[in-house]
Amino acid sequence: MGDSIYKVPGGKLLKIKLTPSEGRIRAIVIKGDFFLHPEETLIALEEFLAGKELDEVTLAADIQDFLDNAGATLVGASAADIAKTILMAM
Amino acid sequence: MEEFRFLELCVYNAYENMAIDEAITLAMKEGKAPPTLRLYRWRPSAVSIGTFQGMIDEVDLKYCRLNNIDYIRRITGGGAVYHDFDGEVTYSLIVPKGHRLAPPDILKSYKIICGGIVQALKHLKIKSKFRPINDVVTSEKKISGNAQTRRNSCVLQHGTTLLDLDVEVMFSTLKVPKEKISDKMIQDVKKSVTSIREVLGRHVEVDELGNALEIGFSKALKIDLVPGALMAKEWSDAQRLLKEKYSTTKWNLSR
Repeated sequence: MGDSIYKVPGGKLLKIKLTPSEGRIRAIVIKGDFFLHPEETLIALEEFLAGKELDEVTLAADIQDFLDNAGATLVGASAADIAKTILMAM
Repeated sequence: MEEFRFLELCVYNAYENMAIDEAITLAMKEGKAPPTLRLYRWRPSAVSIGTFQGMIDEVDLKYCRLNNIDYIRRITGGGAVYHDFDGEVTYSLIVPKGHRLAPPDILKSYKIICGGIVQALKHLKIKSKFRPINDVVTSEKKISGNAQTRRNSCVLQHGTTLLDLDVEVMFSTLKVPKEKISDKMIQDVKKSVTSIREVLGRHVEVDELGNALEIGFSKALKIDLVPGALMAKEWSDAQRLLKEKYSTTKWNLSR
């Protein structure tokens, strides 16, 4: 299990608690002072990320797709920032 | 001018305050509540955290319990805020989705609504401006923090304006991450926040700030604030939300 903290330049703070397993995400908690509308999207995103490969580029694209499909808006951080912070927690 | 229901400056505890905000959105969703501005204080003083924050990460719970300071999770994102009973006034503005004050562009809507704070500070002879994403600053020091949610077919924005700053208590209640401080190139976090009394160098009463906010929001948002009260359904929903959500460990320590 690993933790990471990343302050997005000009944005908000991301905190990740990651449980990895064989190069993949087993479980993840995403915390921070960012905004995500609608807010319920975050728990769905955490569930979506379980089982995903720990590859920053792929994760960034997957997270962006997930947010787009959910019609969600992230403010103060980007999908790429979340992916970066996840990798920092390894 | 467009009429808004105005709920005058009043005092509740943290759980009541957050429950009332959500109850208003529920009534508005049903088409029963008009666009509303409310002003309120927190007694006892309290720490509120953003909906995605970890309570234990952000708040010194032991200090809060020992000093009769409540702690609560908001439904809005953003950061942790210390709401001192004597040191700030909070507002909530709730409008239906699609209202002119809440365009789809979230940053734009923050700027529009924060215009009420900037105008209130101007009324108090303080020059300030909106600083994206969600702050109002004077001389680059934060004096107001704001947070928004879009749910129940409404846009709710609430925020605090600092009247005074008890730095010792504030930083005793909050755990400020070092990363956040270093990124802003601020060695001393106390230098990044200010208050109305500090800027003006005089004792400004809470009611004077409340009055300035009423005038500021009315003028900047071009709204006519008509004094009103919560409806019975809003009260009963607030009581239910207080009991089932905001006062529970399940909600407050969910992250």
